[in-house]
Amino acid sequence: MAENVTIRDVERELGDLRAASTRPGEHPKLRTSVMTLMAWVPPKWVDAATETLAGLAERHPSRTILLFPLPDDPRDALDAEVDLRCFLRGGEEKEICSEVISIRLCGRRSSAPATVVEPLLVADLPVFLRWRGQCPFGAPELEELVEIADRLVVDSSEWPDAESAYGRLADLLDRIVVSDIAWARTEQWRRGVAALWPAVADASSVRVAGPPVEALLLGRWLSVRLGHQVELKHEPAGEIELVEVDGRPAEPTRFERESSSDLLSEQLEIFSRDRAYEEVVRSFSSAPT
Amino acid sequence: MTQAPAATQENPLLEGLRKRRQAEPCAMTIFGASGDLTQRKLFPALYALAFRNLLPPNFGVLGVARTPMSDDEFREKMRQAVVDHGRDEFRQEVWDELAGGIRYVATDFADEGGEQHVVDCLNTLDKERATAGNRVYYLAVPPSAIETILVAMGKHRATGGWTRVIVEKPFGHDLESARHLNEVVRIYFEENEIFRIDHYLGKETVQNMLVLRFANGIFEPIWNRQFVDHVQITVAESLGIEGRAAFYEQAGAVRDIVQNHLLQLVALTAMEPPIDFTPDSVRNEKVKVLKAMHTPGPKHVVRGQYGPGYIEGEEVPGYREEEGVAPDSTTETYVAAKLFVDNWRWADTPFYIRTGKRLPKRETTIAIQFKSAPHPPFEIDSEEGLRPNVLLVHIQPDEGVSLAVGAKVPGQGLTIRTVHMDFLYGGTFRTGLPEAYERLILDCMLGDTTLFTRADEVEEQWALVDAMVAPWKRDHPNFPNYAAGTWGPAAADELLRRDGRSWRRH
Repeated sequence: MAENVTIRDVERELGDLRAASTRPGEHPKLRTSVMTLMAWVPPKWVDAATETLAGLAERHPSRTILLFPLPDDPRDALDAEVDLRCFLRGGEEKEICSEVISIRLCGRRSSAPATVVEPLLVADLPVFLRWRGQCPFGAPELEELVEIADRLVVDSSEWPDAESAYGRLADLLDRIVVSDIAWARTEQWRRGVAALWPAVADASSVRVAGPPVEALLLGRWLSVRLGHQVELKHEPAGEIELVEVDGRPAEPTRFERESSSDLLSEQLEIFSRDRAYEEVVRSFSSAPT
Repeated sequence: MTQAPAATQENPLLEGLRKRRQAEPCAMTIFGASGDLTQRKLFPALYALAFRNLLPPNFGVLGVARTPMSDDEFREKMRQAVVDHGRDEFRQEVWDELAGGIRYVATDFADEGGEQHVVDCLNTLDKERATAGNRVYYLAVPPSAIETILVAMGKHRATGGWTRVIVEKPFGHDLESARHLNEVVRIYFEENEIFRIDHYLGKETVQNMLVLRFANGIFEPIWNRQFVDHVQITVAESLGIEGRAAFYEQAGAVRDIVQNHLLQLVALTAMEPPIDFTPDSVRNEKVKVLKAMHTPGPKHVVRGQYGPGYIEGEEVPGYREEEGVAPDSTTETYVAAKLFVDNWRWADTPFYIRTGKRLPKRETTIAIQFKSAPHPPFEIDSEEGLRPNVLLVHIQPDEGVSLAVGAKVPGQGLTIRTVHMDFLYGGTFRTGLPEAYERLILDCMLGDTTLFTRADEVEEQWALVDAMVAPWKRDHPNFPNYAAGTWGPAAADELLRRDGRSWRRH
């Protein structure tokens, strides 16, 4: 990674890479984008983020901007690396390329990321912001990036105290559309519970064997949708294994583990608000639990 | 305020859940189950749907053909077909789920009792797989067998559930036979129960044509005679007849490709915006285009037949040397035509269409060629590399859209070259475009006829084709008139040269 660079350097490097990637006589490589994907990746999430993003370019060609905040770095500087990831689609002659820009935000630069990424956004295309780990609600880095993004993608199972964080997340919902990968993991089970309607209209309890955050979301969702309190009985498990409403087991419509890339990929295809999720999130700030 | 009882309320738990295209329980009967189409397309499509959880949980398939086979033998043959031709990895658990509902009946509908055997098996399948009497009949059979099966299945409709019939092309062999088949259909089925399939309509790029035109404000204002010089639609195949001599000798290129695929592409290119995307709105607009097309005169139609030549450096025989083809055959393997759509939007704008076998490459494209800039203010020399703007819709093999525009060549002088801006469909969205048959089979199970051909549509197509081929009965073509591996007979080039135009370079 080149140290102490300017955004102009990054743009120049992108241009050079594109020019160098095509040899004389070859089909020019196609640069194609459907979005700008920004990812805020604190040090502890670097490996997980790299794994998730691998293969994503093929499904969602985008300009990906990886932001690695290093607030404790003594320098006030940007380090950057630019990569052109090209792949050949089966049976086709032309290579498709996506750009990946990795930027280390050193020292004070980590609290002012918007001016770093704004010149790098692809014009006229949506901007997705994937925030790894706990969202620092109210902090300038989150506030700034939320202002320039169209959609915030979080995974609330990465948060140490999701229940209280939902209350803060609710404040963001008027400013940005939010996707939660933890919520996405409950979708097949919610579908299964929905199939039990109307037998579950007056349900009083839901038993969930699964991770705590997903269980919390499922329990609260049922209460919000049915309009009355539904008691959550939670049994810890690594992934959702069982959902029972008043003793009636829900059948998930698909019982296939999805990778973190698959889950993020699905969120990148959604552009509308998820009212059901927003109501669940808002319920954490408006009502006693 | 009193609350409605739960049973009569809308399900509040569905809020926020994305709509899924999943069909109701049903049993699908494939007539012609031992044939090539079933193995190459239908079972791989069913497996792809199962792979994505898009088949209903209660689902069964009954294969019907004359070839004697047990259920297990048929299952094994179809398993191998999925392994050989499927686009997804083979997962045993997905196959096992699908295979659990597969049955096979060896019968001939010409025999007394053959149809009853099928009906009995379907009734059993209904019970075993809880398919509720809902039935899809897929007629992957030669045209001569269609009527017999339609009548038999029409007489033995299930007492409960819905019935849908998919009929493979060609639907008839001329206007009279198509009308007759439509009359037979009407005796036993409603129009919305008949799905005349043209797999081109299931291709993503063909559907994208509608999106390109009607979801983008920039194209529609210039999509007319004021701005478009002409349209070229090419369906080129490098393959020969691949052992289908019996079919091809009867059909030829005009019935194999022009009557269905090519006229569909013309209709989608020329149609007016439908008021909505319901089946009848879309199909009404397509029928209007077909009605507005005037009959091309003999000078506007060119036919050809390939002789020996080379494809990808390999020597290949001429059509008359292919196995099963008459040595003096006059069947056309190439057709080019100049068509006009006589309406306000397209009057006097030619639609040049061509299709052929043993052409240099496999390619299907729609090229909208715009009129040249009225007065480019550059020196003549600088414009030598400039060609008119062309919006090119690639249907296959590389699905996408490109726009040819003039651009300045970097340097001190002012030289203009035509460059292509490419949008490669599969490269921009998720990889692995669904096969046309996956989309169409699922649409049928969901009762959506939008991408299928309606009775009046197919009759308009045949009326046009009948008029095109009528003069051929009177003349004796000098076949072969193009070598395999070339772009067709010289007369096809002349067809455009007379208008001061030429076929696009591929």
